[in-house]
Amino acid sequence: MAEVTALDPKKFKEAVKDKSNARLKMWLEICAHCGLCADTCHFYLANDKDPEMIPAVKGRKVLEALRKKDKIDEEFLEDFYWTIYGECTMCRRCTMFCPFGIDIATITSTGRGLCVSQGKVPENLKKTIASYYEHGNQMEITQEEWIDTLQWMEEELQEELPGATIPIDKKGAKVLYTVNAREPKFYPMDISQVARVFYLAGEDWTMSSKGWDDTNLAMFAGDLKAAAYISQLVRDAAEELEVRRVAITE
Amino acid sequence: MSLYELLRGPLLWLAFGVFIGGMVVRIILFFTLSTKKDKPIYRFFSWKWLWLSIFHWIVPLNQTAKKNPITTTVGFLFHICLLVTPLFLLAHGVLWYESWDISWWSLPESTADYMTLIIIGCGIFLALRRIFLPYVRVVTTAADYLLLGVTLAPFVTGYLAYHQYFDYNTVLLLHMFFGELMLVVIPFTKLSHFLMFFFSRAVTGMEFGRRRAPSW
Repeated sequence: MAEVTALDPKKFKEAVKDKSNARLKMWLEICAHCGLCADTCHFYLANDKDPEMIPAVKGRKVLEALRKKDKIDEEFLEDFYWTIYGECTMCRRCTMFCPFGIDIATITSTGRGLCVSQGKVPENLKKTIASYYEHGNQMEITQEEWIDTLQWMEEELQEELPGATIPIDKKGAKVLYTVNAREPKFYPMDISQVARVFYLAGEDWTMSSKGWDDTNLAMFAGDLKAAAYISQLVRDAAEELEVRRVAITE
Repeated sequence: MSLYELLRGPLLWLAFGVFIGGMVVRIILFFTLSTKKDKPIYRFFSWKWLWLSIFHWIVPLNQTAKKNPITTTVGFLFHICLLVTPLFLLAHGVLWYESWDISWWSLPESTADYMTLIIIGCGIFLALRRIFLPYVRVVTTAADYLLLGVTLAPFVTGYLAYHQYFDYNTVLLLHMFFGELMLVVIPFTKLSHFLMFFFSRAVTGMEFGRRRAPSW
């Protein structure tokens, strides 16, 4: 459920202006409404071929939103929100099958960005984005907990492989290894498994005490400002540690 | 000035002016806006993926064509005849020769006649698709029928004029009017895809190409 917030037509209009780029305008105008995208969409196929589920309908709704600007109303926004979050996973399959190559995923992302301007973001996603701002990761893990986890995993690893380490903030290492915040939270063993591989391969690597979460869930909210902030955290860590490469968990 | 002279002269100039000028403006707007707001296009620009993307869709070398053989066949026939017939029609060639003293190869008259019928037949198929397929009907607006009508009108009237059905002079004037109307609406409607197709295919081809995932 999204939080109920007051409508802000002015902000919506600004978001429309900000998000209207050349590709979006072109795509929404040239769509020939041919319907060839229909059976490329899993929402359409999984809902007994409900025509309202085809990708082109989602594109049309974004076009309507762009045209409404500050004439936006609650009812439209509510329906728009459910379509844009509930009926598209931004998988881009329809893009591959569209004769014009119209990228509905990007269009959906724009639609979500418009919802962001109204604070209309699924509550869990909102919390997650707040966590990135507060803790630098999506799972509300404090820096202390993070370092503790790494040290604990290092101890476990050393019982098996004496001499193996999980280096933290090693300046000038070749590789900075980043993880999904779910790993320290729920599957810390994953980190020691990777450390084992790095150790046995003789790799010069390090982990960072900050900017270590490589997920970017703000991207799924079309919140590009937050998404850029999150990416920047990892980039900053890489530059500070003067590593040559950033490796990302699978 | 008679209605014929008006349609043959100033209005034709106007139609070509709006058509060409409109498309030039569309392209300028695309470049001015995209250089500011669509940076990924230029950052990951690739001639290779641009041409591969256009090539696989300008000929039916893609999954969509394989999955929809009938619609693909109709679509290609429609577009080929639509472009070739007016450009290589003998009667049009004569007009160009009279006005500008230039001439080029033209189609045998009977071939052009059949091609016109193919366009009309394909147009009817596309309209029926819109009416009977729920997933096409759902995205169909009045504009889609109108534009299909505007596209077919010059061919229907051209066919009637060639065979001199009904009153020849009236049909001819209508033919000229609809032809000019079609040119005029192109830059402002989805018909602009005749050119924007290449831009759209290019940006998506490059976007998928940089991930080594061909978009066809």
